[in-house]
Amino acid sequence: MADTELKVFSYDKVVIGEELGSYEYILTQEMVDAFRASVDDPEASFPTLGVKHDATAFAMVYTDPIGTVNAGNEVEFFNPPVVGKKIIVTGRIADKYLRRDKPYIVIEATAIDENGRLLEKLSTYQLKKPDELGKKWHPEQK
Amino acid sequence: MASRTEIEPGQTIPSVTKEITEKSILGFESTGILNLENIHNNPELAAKRLGTTYTLASGRMSITFATECLRKFFGPDVFNHTGTVNLKFLRPVKAGDTITVTGAVSGSEDTANGTRVSVDLFCDNQDGNRTAVGVGTAVIN
Repeated sequence: MADTELKVFSYDKVVIGEELGSYEYILTQEMVDAFRASVDDPEASFPTLGVKHDATAFAMVYTDPIGTVNAGNEVEFFNPPVVGKKIIVTGRIADKYLRRDKPYIVIEATAIDENGRLLEKLSTYQLKKPDELGKKWHPEQK
Repeated sequence: MASRTEIEPGQTIPSVTKEITEKSILGFESTGILNLENIHNNPELAAKRLGTTYTLASGRMSITFATECLRKFFGPDVFNHTGTVNLKFLRPVKAGDTITVTGAVSGSEDTANGTRVSVDLFCDNQDGNRTAVGVGTAVIN
């Protein structure tokens, strides 16, 4: 997938249910250490949160010149990942909708390891008009 | 690890307080596998897309903080295998902020696998402003 030319994201063209494909990586001790240090939690069990499985799946298919803001996340935990194991992630566009005239998409990603253990399911609600939030946070910059 | 008989409605969960720094924001981003520039690691991109003068901490850092609270409350044997976290992000979090996550048991329901306990979650910054709100759950027996 990484060798495939990226598509330019268009909210109007994206289809609910669109598959984003799958990708693999190996979880390293360095990744775990960097993640745990960044969140100041030596027992953090899901460094996969830092990998951003859903956003990564999206970025392997689309380039998005407008950008996005994460409006919310839902995550389900099933089994902690194991260092040295291959992790396989599958992503899809689960939904798109307008709320207060602002465009959102929902990206889902499911992660299993090389032994078929289900690790986590992650959904992200992405606002595809980030300048709107910037105006809300900093009205003086309108 | 908490057991069913120890969990009551309104019971508070352990809170965590985290200092957000440029180092922690960039460290979190470094866990990724694509090394992409984004509003979390590139201030110019954040200015262009959001109009901010700062980069934002990923909302997933708050997810991780809430996960820590819930793991400490339910115990890793329970939460790491049955847990969920659902947060809506309300305000930006940036370097220099201090985020405190608190929560309290809001209810429970019987399921085929045990009792699903729900916890209301709140993330607040050093000024008392709410940065995220949501719900966490886990299934206990």
